[in-house]
Amino acid sequence: MAAKPLIRTQSLCYQYGEIVALNGVSLEMPHGFCALLGPNGAGKSTLVGLLATLLPMQKGEAWVMGLSVRQQPRRVRQQLGLVFQEPSLDERLTVYENLSFHALIYGMGFGHTRRITEVLELVELAEWAQAPVRALSRGMKRRLEIGRAILHRPRLLVLDEPTTGLDVQSRQRIWAYLRDLKNEGIGLLLTTHQLAEADQADWVAIVDHGQLLEAGSPHELRRRHGMAQIVLGLFERSLAERLVSQHQGRWEGERVVLESANPQAFLTTFMPSYGSQVSHLEVRWPSLEEVFLKLTGRSLRDEEATNLEGLRAFAQRGGEHTR
Amino acid sequence: MVYFLQVLYAVWARELKRSLRESGQLMGAFSRPLLWVLIFGVGLSPFFRTGLRETSFLVPFTYVQFIFPAVAVLNIMYPAVQAAVSLIYDREFGFFREIFASPAARPAVFLGKLLGGASLALLQGMLVLLLAPFVDVPMPWGVFWTCLLPMLLIALAFTALGLIIASRMRSFEGFGVFANTLILPLYFLASSIFPLDPSLTIEQQQQIFPPWLVFLVRINPLTYAIDTLRGVSIGFQQFDPTAGWLVLSLGTALLVGWAYYEFNRR
Repeated sequence: MAAKPLIRTQSLCYQYGEIVALNGVSLEMPHGFCALLGPNGAGKSTLVGLLATLLPMQKGEAWVMGLSVRQQPRRVRQQLGLVFQEPSLDERLTVYENLSFHALIYGMGFGHTRRITEVLELVELAEWAQAPVRALSRGMKRRLEIGRAILHRPRLLVLDEPTTGLDVQSRQRIWAYLRDLKNEGIGLLLTTHQLAEADQADWVAIVDHGQLLEAGSPHELRRRHGMAQIVLGLFERSLAERLVSQHQGRWEGERVVLESANPQAFLTTFMPSYGSQVSHLEVRWPSLEEVFLKLTGRSLRDEEATNLEGLRAFAQRGGEHTR
Repeated sequence: MVYFLQVLYAVWARELKRSLRESGQLMGAFSRPLLWVLIFGVGLSPFFRTGLRETSFLVPFTYVQFIFPAVAVLNIMYPAVQAAVSLIYDREFGFFREIFASPAARPAVFLGKLLGGASLALLQGMLVLLLAPFVDVPMPWGVFWTCLLPMLLIALAFTALGLIIASRMRSFEGFGVFANTLILPLYFLASSIFPLDPSLTIEQQQQIFPPWLVFLVRINPLTYAIDTLRGVSIGFQQFDPTAGWLVLSLGTALLVGWAYYEFNRR
């Protein structure tokens, strides 16, 4: 099970009319907790839509748990649990009825009451079973959707921006469930535009303008794309001054800050000879934000200002928000 | 196969639950036939046989009896077409993704939707039949059961029609307007509330009624559907019964096929 990648894609392309949403994405996600990171309109949802067999395959190939999305869509669907960006619950039915409907259309038959109770307990909605969904808060609905997605025991749970628009408590709860699920061995694929969320994943793919920019564990990405900072406090002022001039360092109060792509290499040569001089030592790794900035040339935070174009394109192709 | 039926059941049951919880729809189901039978039917009855116009035949029924089957059809048409609103609802509010991301077979989903809408429509049509004893329309149980077949076909046909319209519509508002502009003319031109004289030739009919009206009534498939139900329920039929059944079953098959095509397209 661990040998097969969770998801593999090969030069996957997708176009909405004239607008290119995915432009040759090839990636291989290992088993575990994976995140697709990118600004809105980067192509994350399109990628998820293709993997979930909701969009027709145009160019390229994709496999989910070794099953071809093009050739075995129904088997792929059986393996997937999906939580969409927008709610997809029937508001007029009760919590229990929504789950029961899901059980039936996923071929679980009628004897599913116990499993529903189990799932409702997991997402802490057991006492709401008979309430109509429209009476639920946003966070509760999202939790219900997660419960529904895992009802048929999928091997991979795909969540498209699961915490967007939720309050802090709901977010934390959802993260707690996701950690539990991960420990149970369910694969997780999450799309997000929040760095803090991507940072918790085992494996991150950064997507922008329909292309895969980089992939790897958050730690790897940082090492590959950011300069680490070595902060040194030294007893001897002259040594500190020498370091600053030799390595283009700068002062931070009494301490010296050196930038380095490979701090380990520097420290292995520095420490044996000067270790006795060190009063303070700290290695600051770049944040994922810096990596993202370097790769995409823009920060995720000021995206609202720059993303007007993308938004317009999205509206034109009649994305799910606009329909 | 079992799985197919389970999906069908799930979709069907959902349609029913959703509708039966909507009090507005139920209100309509009761008030519509009451309005037609009591006010129109009873109110217009005295004018029906008095020969205000010189006709060469006399319909051997009261006006209420004459429009009664047509009211049943009206009470089937409305909810059937309205049932398709749930299709737009599902599309707008994302529930379609829940269905289409599942391994469920599309024909099962389609049949569930179709039968769900048709069941609701049929139930509301049956509601009208239950009014029969109160307005002096004889309705023994045998007749009641035989009425269900043409009613089911009409329910299926109009649910399918609703699904076709809904597949091509983008908004709720547009749907309502379009559905009404389609339903009402179709209904009024189906010899539903006034009879064409069956003993007359087309030429003679055209002397009594304007030719365009005779033409429209005669090409309207719903004319034959209502006529068939009238034949089954009160034993009065203006056109050839075989033609009625033929139009009814072929029309239903055609609409259902078309609806399936539209449903599968997206």
